[in-house]
Amino acid sequence: MGRDTRLPRARARGLGSAHGGTHHWWAERVSAIALVPLTIWLLVGLIIHLSGDYNEVVGWLASPVTSLLIILLLIAAFHHVALGLQVIVEDYNHGESKYLMILLLRFGCYAAAASGILAELKIVFAT
Amino acid sequence: MIIRSSDQLPRATLLKRFPIPKNFGLTPGSRVRRGKRWPVPTGAKHTKTIDIYRFNPDTGDNPRLDRYVIDLDNCGPMVLDALIWIKSEVDSTLTFRRSCREGVCGSCAMNIDGTNWLACTRFLADLPAVSKIYPLPSRRIIKDLVPDLTHLFAQYEMIEPWIKTGASTPEHERLQSPEERARLDGYYECILCFCCTSACPSHWWNPGRFLGPAALLQAWRWLTDSRDEGTAERLDQLEDPFRLYRCHTILNCTRTCPKGLNPGKAIAEIKRMMIERQS
Amino acid sequence: MSNPSDKRRRESIGAADDLERWFGGDFVPTETFRPIAPNIQVYRPQLTSVLSIANRVTGVALGLGALGLVAWLIAAASGPHLFLIAQNIVFSWPGEIFLIGLTFAFFLHFLGGVRHLVWDTVRGFELRSIYASGWAVVITSIILTAATWVFALRGG
Repeated sequence: MGRDTRLPRARARGLGSAHGGTHHWWAERVSAIALVPLTIWLLVGLIIHLSGDYNEVVGWLASPVTSLLIILLLIAAFHHVALGLQVIVEDYNHGESKYLMILLLRFGCYAAAASGILAELKIVFAT
Repeated sequence: MIIRSSDQLPRATLLKRFPIPKNFGLTPGSRVRRGKRWPVPTGAKHTKTIDIYRFNPDTGDNPRLDRYVIDLDNCGPMVLDALIWIKSEVDSTLTFRRSCREGVCGSCAMNIDGTNWLACTRFLADLPAVSKIYPLPSRRIIKDLVPDLTHLFAQYEMIEPWIKTGASTPEHERLQSPEERARLDGYYECILCFCCTSACPSHWWNPGRFLGPAALLQAWRWLTDSRDEGTAERLDQLEDPFRLYRCHTILNCTRTCPKGLNPGKAIAEIKRMMIERQS
Repeated sequence: MSNPSDKRRRESIGAADDLERWFGGDFVPTETFRPIAPNIQVYRPQLTSVLSIANRVTGVALGLGALGLVAWLIAAASGPHLFLIAQNIVFSWPGEIFLIGLTFAFFLHFLGGVRHLVWDTVRGFELRSIYASGWAVVITSIILTAATWVFALRGG
């Protein structure tokens, strides 16, 4: 790689300002605010229903309100997770693998959200 | 316990340092070795022990931690007085920056017993029996406690800390109401000691691209100055996932500022301005 | 081995590589080697930094918890047999311990997140408020975790 012999001002300037980043910051906050009521609802719901038998749990999951809120929660949660994980990777990973890690984590979040939504839809429509 | 101002020290300490190996993550040339134990002053009744980071660029050895015992009765009350006493009585090779000795120039900023502060305004009486003095964390070290601040000043210069005026000039002077002038309070007083930036974990991991609390506080100082007309360009330059948005509101900066300023709040104000111009 | 200062000189030239990778730019080209002062190795853990890293760690833990939620949903959608297996895992004692930990992580991240959202409105930045809200987050998280589990084990 060799030495970087740039002078201090050039180093500090780097590649210049990206003129962006506010959207990511805002999206993290929007998903967080959405998750405040959604996670409380989920916590209460799980406390009440988690220990039930199969029919009770599926009955709860299949109900219209539950299914809507769970789908919204999965979207908001995995969007929030994807944004947060990207920040973590950017903070600590400065090498070549940074972009690949961000892609993999983001795709993983989308896949997880899609799987959860599919499972919920199956419960609602096909059970 | 509730800390009310940054000069307040914790009454009890659970953890003096994170439970990681002493030289964790330091490249081989930066690892700190055990150093000399300097002679104890004879006949001293009240003493304190201080381990001080030493590095000599001429020998090519690793940095080391030398142990000094200071005679509190023959030494002034502040940590800087102890450093000067050591240099005068024990070891004249100890090297550090100092100037005003009253907390206004920012020269003697260093890591004292785990937190960044000015040596001239930290009381020896507040130190435990054995404490450690390191240079400002994460900085390149020229010698002993003298850090290379070139990069930090380059980052400060990059936010263009001067008034930007438009094409038209006022007939007489540029006016500023008392309320507008009050918006500068808490920001113009910065002495650029860089205690805050050297305390910021985000700046430790991203020093090249994240501007850090000191530069960002000054950026806010100019953004909020009613006489400045370059607000739009300043915001354009700051809006970057690294320059501004590596700040995760950790708030080590506000905790450590030896002048009691609030860089965390300044950065939050900048982020709010960013949102304001989007919506 | 040759003279130590040769080693330093070689390291200062090669050091640009790994120092660049580690520190991404805080390097001024000099021929004399300049070590990096210790940072996390010596800086005192304070409520500020500890709660912040806790927020990040609990966030990652909750991300894994979300994956677990998806797995549980898939089990529920797959029919009673898989669902029974999932429930046995959940209600096993390692599963319960994991859930208690996850509940604590949830409350810590939730309340810490609310604290962050308040900061984003530029409120609560005085040191007194920072510390008061910080301790409130920790204590409330412990209380809420205990309350949730007492309620869940007795009632729910």
